[in-house]
Amino acid sequence: MSVAELEAREVGLEGPSSGLWSEAWRRLRHNPSAIVGFVMVGTFVFVALFAPLIATHDPLEQDLSLLNGGCCPGPSAEHWFGVDALGRDLFSRVVYGARYSLLIGVVSVAVGLSIGLLIGAIAGYAGGWVDSLLMRLMDIMLSIPGLLLAIGIVAALGPGLVQIMIAVGVTQIPIFARLLRGSILATKETDYILAARSVGIRGRVILSSHVIPNSISPVIVQGTLALATAIIDVAGLGFLGLGPQDPSTPEWGTMLTDTTRYLQTAPFLALIPGAAIVISVLGFNLIGDGLREALDPRFRGRA
Amino acid sequence: MLKFIVRRLLLLVPILIGLSFLVFIWIRALPGGPAEALLGERATPEAIAKIERDYGLNKPITVQYWDYVKTTATGDLGTSVTTRRAVTDELKQRFPATIELAIAAMLFSLLGIPLGFFAAKHYGKAIDSASLFVSLLGVSVPIFFLAILLKYVFAVQLGWLPTTGRVDARIDFDHPTNFYLLDSLWTGDFSIFWDCVKHLILPAIALGSIPLAIIARITRAAVLDVQNEDYVRVARAKGLSPREVDSRHVLRNALLPIITIIGLQTGLLLSGAVLTETVFAWPGIGTWLVDAIRSRNFPVLQGGILFVSVIFVLVNLAVDVTYAIVNPKIRVS
Amino acid sequence: MRGIALKAILALAACAVLVVTLGNSSGSKASSTLIFAGAADPTYLDPALASDGETFRVTEQMYEGLVALKPGTTKVIPKLALKWKSANRGKTWTFWLRHGVKFHDGTPFNAAAVCANFNRWYNWSGAFQDPSATFYYQAIYGGFKHNEVSGLQPPLYRSCAAKGQYKAIVKLRKASGTFFPSLVIAPFAMQSPTAMRKYGADQGELRNGTFRATGSYAFEHPTGTGPFKFKSWTIGQKVEIVRNDKYWGQKAKLSRVIIQPISDSTARLQALQNHDVNAYDLAAPQDIPTLSGNSSLKVIKRPAFNVAYVTIHQGSGPMKELKVRQAVAYGLNRKGVVNQFYYGTGKVAQEFMPPSLYGYAKKVQTYAYNPTKAKQLLNSSSCHVPCHIDFWYPTAVSRPYMPDPVRNFQGFQASLENSGFSVTPHSAPWRPTYVAKVNEGSAGDLNLIGWTGDYADPDNFVGTFFNQTTANAQFGFSNASINSLLLKAKNEANFAKRVALYQKLNQQLMKYLPGVPYAHATPALGAEKRVHNLIATPVGGVWFQYATVG
Repeated sequence: MSVAELEAREVGLEGPSSGLWSEAWRRLRHNPSAIVGFVMVGTFVFVALFAPLIATHDPLEQDLSLLNGGCCPGPSAEHWFGVDALGRDLFSRVVYGARYSLLIGVVSVAVGLSIGLLIGAIAGYAGGWVDSLLMRLMDIMLSIPGLLLAIGIVAALGPGLVQIMIAVGVTQIPIFARLLRGSILATKETDYILAARSVGIRGRVILSSHVIPNSISPVIVQGTLALATAIIDVAGLGFLGLGPQDPSTPEWGTMLTDTTRYLQTAPFLALIPGAAIVISVLGFNLIGDGLREALDPRFRGRA
Repeated sequence: MLKFIVRRLLLLVPILIGLSFLVFIWIRALPGGPAEALLGERATPEAIAKIERDYGLNKPITVQYWDYVKTTATGDLGTSVTTRRAVTDELKQRFPATIELAIAAMLFSLLGIPLGFFAAKHYGKAIDSASLFVSLLGVSVPIFFLAILLKYVFAVQLGWLPTTGRVDARIDFDHPTNFYLLDSLWTGDFSIFWDCVKHLILPAIALGSIPLAIIARITRAAVLDVQNEDYVRVARAKGLSPREVDSRHVLRNALLPIITIIGLQTGLLLSGAVLTETVFAWPGIGTWLVDAIRSRNFPVLQGGILFVSVIFVLVNLAVDVTYAIVNPKIRVS
Repeated sequence: MRGIALKAILALAACAVLVVTLGNSSGSKASSTLIFAGAADPTYLDPALASDGETFRVTEQMYEGLVALKPGTTKVIPKLALKWKSANRGKTWTFWLRHGVKFHDGTPFNAAAVCANFNRWYNWSGAFQDPSATFYYQAIYGGFKHNEVSGLQPPLYRSCAAKGQYKAIVKLRKASGTFFPSLVIAPFAMQSPTAMRKYGADQGELRNGTFRATGSYAFEHPTGTGPFKFKSWTIGQKVEIVRNDKYWGQKAKLSRVIIQPISDSTARLQALQNHDVNAYDLAAPQDIPTLSGNSSLKVIKRPAFNVAYVTIHQGSGPMKELKVRQAVAYGLNRKGVVNQFYYGTGKVAQEFMPPSLYGYAKKVQTYAYNPTKAKQLLNSSSCHVPCHIDFWYPTAVSRPYMPDPVRNFQGFQASLENSGFSVTPHSAPWRPTYVAKVNEGSAGDLNLIGWTGDYADPDNFVGTFFNQTTANAQFGFSNASINSLLLKAKNEANFAKRVALYQKLNQQLMKYLPGVPYAHATPALGAEKRVHNLIATPVGGVWFQYATVG
């Protein structure tokens, strides 16, 4: 333990030690909202992963004979959530829809995160005109509302599942870029780092042992929240008809497009997939929020 | 202060030029053009070629852009490909519709301030957790789903409110400004005003739900932060009543981040407007632009996006000015 | 601050109560106003300058032509002309006009007015010669007095003379079979010459490649002779027309009709369910069960006026052989697809035009689904089983004649595979590329497409599909016999002869099989049960003249 580190601890600007994480975890465990969030997300991920085992029917299989009385027969013993306008089991479609939402969310956030962090790291470290240029670019992207930017990208790329993942991913880039850059800048200027530098610790060591660990927490928090936004944005694009063009794809947002017309006769067609979206997104938001509170040093000392 | 405003306004010009060029390129990057959308089944190769000639789409792109700049500089934003009306005329109709909706939604979302304040005052208790939960719920429900839900409950099931449009078709009144609330008040007929309000309620709630949740959160956080500041403790120690402490110190200082957030909601309102307008068939900018993308209505896209960006930049400027007024520290930089 | 929050909540609650007490349903008592929802706003209320059904829905209430179609059918009956006669082998037409008819502005309808209308169209110049301005005039009459743009045909019209008040003689440059039937369609309605002059009906310009009318006639002073007259048009919001109490015929029962555009079909449905409107057009087929199942609503059907067909491209590949084309016809399970994917609104098509249109042949070669026969045909041709073909279908669209293209395709693919074909699927989004590809012949051996008729004339169907240019481009064939029959029928002035020619043509087409027609769909309207006598014509118009509400 070097002099610098001892000094840093005294000043109260500790780098993250195991203390921070275990404390955060403890706080998280006692946060009722966060627990609820974990349960929701856990269920969501579980359903997504084990969809083939959980679903009762093939989500693409149509049984048009069930629609002889018009659309649509509601929940029954055979079809727990009822049947949609093409005779497909709604429960199975919602279950498989979890897969799509998870996939889409993870891929979009991965795209946004990786590119964004890269840009942010370059900007934060290079400084000068590189930093200014990159941040202007990020500002421009941030000034266009997310959904509209995504619509613009999908319009140019054409509609489809992959395209909306790319579009939503791109909208996430500036947030992560800004985040990492801010983190780097903030850490660069702390007395602790200046002290470490003056003692002669190399930049790379500083980066790996202090800057990155300090930035991880906001990135994790932002990542969970970004996942939530991604699922919503993708659903929005699907609702506008820009999502997967094959209407048999069991994606929650697309499942909502054509259901407003059945609001009077079969409201469950809209309400159930919509509720699924809300539950999964809420789960991620609760966790992200809980993490934010748990990791925020300002809350230390405040039970 | 004046210099600040003037400088920002001057910055508007290069931003607009750059933006119009970007949009121009983007529009032409979209696969297909207005011809196919206009002609439907009649899209024979000759018919398509003729329309492309008519719209100058076969000229080199720099020529097209220059023509576009020339006409726009005279104030002519072009003619809509699908309705044959001047883009400026359609803007005059569509824009007030969205603004009215956005303002109503914004007003609704201001309810977040007392809610957030309330939650902060009861920090740590069940009510606080509950309000946090509800506000998170607010941002977790997709706008269009909320709109569908509201429609289902209040229009379809209960029949209290109408499902589509801005006003009942049977009602005749002059609306010179296209701000229906204003125009209907001007006629002096309260029942017309009331009908317009009824049509505005559900879309405004749907659109304002997310800003409301966000404002509530920020208010709560800001109030909590300020409450623990030294000067508040001093004020309390001085013997000021809780109410005085709240109004004179807590609220005023918490206002700063709240104002920032309100300003930042413009973007959110715009994107939310697209979804809300679709569900309620609200004749505003959102549906106009989305339809224009689908039918490759170049003039509408060009003129509409440009106009919306101008408004956007101006609103941001207004927010920054307000912020500077409220927070003297910013003016210096 | 608890006070403020509490006050806010109380205020909200008070508002909610207010909304409930002051809110009321849109009235279920009998009314003499009908609110109708269409899909889009009209372009101009001068029908001569329009080509969209939304405009015509309005103008058909305010204007009338020399002749009309019997309501709900495609039979021609007298309207403003009581009697007519053609002479000089169809080049001269004499019309005896109805007496005592006045335009809405009080000016008399007479032979001079008729000639004023014909001459107005013929004398159009400048911007008005652009196809975006006068599509229908150019489709029927070709060109103008002085053609200013290349690509315009020579004019069909020669002159019009008024002999007294009630006799108008129209002379054409050559015989035409389409002239007389075209007089029923909306663009050729009779408009008040006085009003047109007064309000600048012939003022227009070309802006950015599109035609724009600049006089006020088309927006504020449309003047015809019809059972309804113009009251107001709030552009983008609604058109209001009121009963013409001085109408020469049976006066309308409704005193007011409001037509408003609601572009989304679901929004139209919900507006009807909520009783914000009394009826609406272009009901999505999926909504028909919902409408029928609702105790206060009903579905109004129109006779079908469209056709969905499978293009067979003969340009290259196996389709050049008649046997292969026949195999396709036998291999498509048309009945299955129509039963399953048309929501009860479809009928199997046996010809390339709808049965309600004259010229429909009573008996043609039919091709019931027969996989065995298809395989036999293939094996006796040069494309043995499995015969490889490319089949294109559109995505992201729903057309009136083809509500569900993807499923139609899947049904056809399955039945073709059963019949000895090996089908490679291809798709493209309807917008922007699919139609262009079909029309230029780059959409495989087979593709799905269709057509909704513009006006009640066979030329608008088979003439559009199989004229020389299209036959070559879209279908990849050139057949002298079909082509000459088509031209002969188009120019035959004698109605009975013309009908016979088209019947013969249809029989030939179903033997030659340039494609396989498979469905006629009946686009429907949704309405409240208490709306009566709302007549929906095959070509898309809606007649409010006899309608009542409640």
